[in-house]
Amino acid sequence: MSGWTVQRIPAITLGVRLAAYGLALLAAILLAGLLSVGVGLPPLRLGGTILYACFATRFGLQDLALLATPLILCGLSVLMLLRVGLWNIGADGQFYVGATCAAAVGLFVGAPPWLGLPLAGLAGAAGGAAWIALPAFARLVLGVSEIITTLLLNFVARLLVDGLATGAWRDVHSSVTGQTQRIPIVLPRFPHDWHFGPVHAGVLAAPAIALLLSLAFRFTRWGYELRLCGANPQAAAYGGMPVRRRLLQAMLLGGAIAGLAGAIELTGTVHRLESGISNGYGYTGIIVAVLAAGAPLGAIVTGLLMAVVLNGGTVLQIHGLPAAAASCFIGVVLLVVALAERLAHYRLVRLRPAALAAGRAAR
Amino acid sequence: MSGLSGLLAQAFLAGGVLAIAAFGELLAERVGVLNLGVEGLMSLGAVVAIIAVDSGTSPVGGLLASVAVGLLAGAIFAFATVTMRASQVLSGMALTLGGSGLAAAIGRPYAGEPARASFGALHIPLLERLPVLGSALFSQSLPILLAWLLLPAGLHALFHGTRHGLSLRAIGEAPGAADAQGLRVLPLRFVYVTLGAGLSAAAGGTLTLAFVPSWSEGMVAGRGWIAVALVIFAGYRPWRLAGGALLFGLVGSFGYLAQARGWGIPPTLLGMLPYLVTMLFMIAPPLLRRGGGGWAAPASLGLPYFRDER
Repeated sequence: MSGWTVQRIPAITLGVRLAAYGLALLAAILLAGLLSVGVGLPPLRLGGTILYACFATRFGLQDLALLATPLILCGLSVLMLLRVGLWNIGADGQFYVGATCAAAVGLFVGAPPWLGLPLAGLAGAAGGAAWIALPAFARLVLGVSEIITTLLLNFVARLLVDGLATGAWRDVHSSVTGQTQRIPIVLPRFPHDWHFGPVHAGVLAAPAIALLLSLAFRFTRWGYELRLCGANPQAAAYGGMPVRRRLLQAMLLGGAIAGLAGAIELTGTVHRLESGISNGYGYTGIIVAVLAAGAPLGAIVTGLLMAVVLNGGTVLQIHGLPAAAASCFIGVVLLVVALAERLAHYRLVRLRPAALAAGRAAR
Repeated sequence: MSGLSGLLAQAFLAGGVLAIAAFGELLAERVGVLNLGVEGLMSLGAVVAIIAVDSGTSPVGGLLASVAVGLLAGAIFAFATVTMRASQVLSGMALTLGGSGLAAAIGRPYAGEPARASFGALHIPLLERLPVLGSALFSQSLPILLAWLLLPAGLHALFHGTRHGLSLRAIGEAPGAADAQGLRVLPLRFVYVTLGAGLSAAAGGTLTLAFVPSWSEGMVAGRGWIAVALVIFAGYRPWRLAGGALLFGLVGSFGYLAQARGWGIPPTLLGMLPYLVTMLFMIAPPLLRRGGGGWAAPASLGLPYFRDER
């Protein structure tokens, strides 16, 4: 006689985790397919349309690269804080403020292009870091949860951009309301005969920063200390590490990356500061980071994946589905991934007859 | 209506919506589960209430419909976080993103339309003749009155006056010890997280049936998050929560007043005010009182319970 039992395991390998996330994603896609059957739409044809629109045309691929850049960067911003066990729900606000600071450089600093671009990037990163400074202070000095404080500032940042774009900085020469004039600082595009279209040099920033973070996490003492400060602050402090300083560095760097993403979006893709310039990138960044399982290079893949999802939402809009369907789907993916993360910590083990007999004897 | 009671009436109305949502969150947090999905629950409740009254039910029926959808979504959330012990932060974010998205999707045909029915003012005999409070509080609609009169008293009596409430608080503070006492930790957590979600969704229904009387995408506008902050600000006590909600409501109504009187404050700044003040309320109390005094969060808040780790 033999039996089966479920056993909990304290830690799982990266492979198991990735497999679980893959299965979760598949389950979410299946669920979405079933839903689309429920409302009377052909799921396979819709899926095919999305994939075709994203991958089969040059325009689709260009769109994908442009859309994935802010998603990967916001994902890296969230991931930076996850590294030390904190949540950055405010990447959206940091993105808005980064774009605002870059726009300020473009509007008010008459710098030559070679100086203007780095200045705008720096201003964006500084703005993003400044936007998380108050939540960082509240968290590290007062112990106030960073989840709610970072999130509340998203609303403030959004209103700030609304106020500037419709008020003080509005384009007075245009009939379009809610945007500034064209920002003169522009990220260079790729050589014309490469046929990259509107894709700008900013898309290189996402993989470059991911690579830098990955190397820093793996090969530097700083990266090691970050991980330990997140995993076990008491042990890290006992080991002589400056825990609070490391957490502060991680938070400010996370804010700076999201702010830089805003500056890149402004100078590369949108070229004007306008209401809704973020399109929820900061929130989608949360799932980019979580799916990447803490690996910066993984965020490149998951960022692209989420770009396909968002692009898919736009495609579905053409087919009469509401745009909110994409954010609905992202919610489902998050929930299924949270479940899969937990389920991956269990394994089914077969009880050998000897063990069973021993158990009975003990009883 | 005089200036003061007009301001107060607006504060009781706006604060009442926050209070209902926050009381729902309090139910979940007291048993140790952090529900970050309040924003999504409120969106779902708001849109379902509008759809229900549009199909001909009474406002009470609309409010019950929003409670029902909240219970359903809450049961899914509780299954994930309590039964399966999945990450509460992730599941909550999923509920917020998914709930807001779903609400926007199903509410599209109703966006901007005035509600076909909404709650009218109840005039409570005798009490409504009280000097300031009479017109500010006792002439409000049914859900707002319940938020101020029934919920704080009821939840205070439950948590701090009954043996069952003591058990619930024990589950939030020390689930291992509660389990050893024979309390059923996971079933009780499941039930109270689900009930809390129903209450938070009712706040959404109150928003569309008693406050704004119409649905539009993004109308919840962070009220769910402010409610979560309010629970922390109140130190997890029902009466303090009611007081905090009134304070938050006053801040919101100050914006209306400034706009109506034309004080020349830029509207963008007025729009930011509720969020900035919430930030201030999150940061100021721990700055002023360092530690202790019965303001702490339930000790097991956010942690899943595993019996074998006891």
